[in-house]
Amino acid sequence: MQRALESALAELTLGPEIAPEDQNAISAWLARNEVTPDDARALQRDFSRLLVYRQLVRRNLRDALESTIPRCIARLGARFDTDFADFLRVSPPVTRLLKDLTPRFLEFALPRWAQDPNVPEYLADLAQHEALQIEVATLLARPKDHVPAELSLDECVEFIDAVRLVHYAWAVHRLPEDTASRVLPERQAMSLLVYRSPEHEVRYLELGAFAAQVLSGLLDARLTLGSAVTGAAHRLGLPLEAELLSATARLLSDLAERGALLGKGPESGQNNPKTSNYVPNASKPA
Amino acid sequence: MTHEPQYEATPRGSRQALGGIGLGLRWDFLEEVLDAPHLDVAFFEVSPENYLSRGGYYPAALEQIAERYPIVTHGLTLSIGAIAEPDPGYLSALKQELTRLDPPWHSDHLCFSTAGERVLHELLPLKFCEENVRRVAERARRMEGLMERPFALENITYYVHPGEPELSELTFLNRVLEVSNARLLLDVNNVFVNAQNHGFDPYAFIAGLPLERVVEIHVAGHQRLESGLLLDTHGEKIVDPVLDLLEWTLERAGDVPVLLERDNNVPDLAELLSELQVLAQLRARALARHAERHAKSA
Repeated sequence: MQRALESALAELTLGPEIAPEDQNAISAWLARNEVTPDDARALQRDFSRLLVYRQLVRRNLRDALESTIPRCIARLGARFDTDFADFLRVSPPVTRLLKDLTPRFLEFALPRWAQDPNVPEYLADLAQHEALQIEVATLLARPKDHVPAELSLDECVEFIDAVRLVHYAWAVHRLPEDTASRVLPERQAMSLLVYRSPEHEVRYLELGAFAAQVLSGLLDARLTLGSAVTGAAHRLGLPLEAELLSATARLLSDLAERGALLGKGPESGQNNPKTSNYVPNASKPA
Repeated sequence: MTHEPQYEATPRGSRQALGGIGLGLRWDFLEEVLDAPHLDVAFFEVSPENYLSRGGYYPAALEQIAERYPIVTHGLTLSIGAIAEPDPGYLSALKQELTRLDPPWHSDHLCFSTAGERVLHELLPLKFCEENVRRVAERARRMEGLMERPFALENITYYVHPGEPELSELTFLNRVLEVSNARLLLDVNNVFVNAQNHGFDPYAFIAGLPLERVVEIHVAGHQRLESGLLLDTHGEKIVDPVLDLLEWTLERAGDVPVLLERDNNVPDLAELLSELQVLAQLRARALARHAERHAKSA
């Protein structure tokens, strides 16, 4: 009995709309969900009021998405209504934590947007960028069993958990925060290091090519520091000279000072990243 | 018939482990709570789902607040009445959070919010029937053991009863409490909203409950739609008839902690604190009359 009612209410709230005057559709909905005749009669009688639950469920879920990817949704306009409706119907939420709703929605929507020429190409980057803010803001910080006291070329480098290296085709992180803005981002390949500061703020570092390659080696491939640096230099055709090693030292020292990298702290005179090949970008509260 | 309260002896799980008027902790005013030297709030209530399996600012802020104020937890997505068993991952994360916060009890809603794997994120009403009494009661008993603390169920609002009821709402609620031995988190606004929407006497409803089982009372505002339907929005001020019902309930239930819930259109903290003062005055009047009733009957 409860199983049938659950199934019927899930379909009513997440599925296609049924008009209250469409008695055939209502009967079909009740039959499809194997609702008992007594319950079916009652639900048919109260159908209009039952639709309140459709509004409540959809509003809660929509609010959760709008709070995490507001600019993306605003720029999608009416198109989002279709994506949202299809998402609920095809790939409904399975998480009890609303913070996990947006990744599920994007998993569903991003491939659709990529296929649709009417969706601006940059929106995928913008959606991922907005979602990343929540992801990094809420990542669990696991206790570290072993944090190297000093960095060594022969060892991997330990970072905090709340750190992500991302690559965009558009400079979406420079767009205004205002949801009403329709300023277009610059088409520019971008690598960002996104991390949560000890003060719980999500911060972004715009990386130059060499820094991005080194960090990709360290974070994604989990290479030793020496392998990450030589690999990056090799891929970019740069000679492994003192300036490059010095820039690497400044990069790592700065990340340690920012609390993104665990290990040896910065030494005097190595804090200023101005001469390194990355530029600190604006920060945003978590 | 009016049930008079019988106070429990042990502090944990006793309404007397908390007292006074509490406030639902919302992110809208979290920083103000942290910054204020001390607020006239007897306790804060949090929804663990907003803090489970996450790091960062909010859990850290909650930890600081928990050092200064008593905390009680109120879940949103247990889905105790659904056919599917509660998600073990959710239960494990919840247990971890409750161990961290150590509230005197944990509560959730007498409802379902899942259908198979689908999570609807809304409190949907259960059919008032014996089959659901048995399933909910068995799980409520299990929750108490799993969470290692008393477990309370909250009466929800329902805009439609799902199907043909076998029992009245009051009988259903009483049967669940009787079979499960769970505590009751009595939401007087929900009783009022249901009474208006379904046409019954809210005072008679509350008089028919085992008030000695009430560990906490919730109160909130609601919205009246053009159709006349009342919606439990937690987005408005509490209306006078609900305040009257609360006062009447406290006079009979005695010293039960009361919580103001505000989830939408959240005003400044100062406005919420002034609402708490109104509730504190109401509570003082009700408890004085409660003492008089007891003195007369002694």
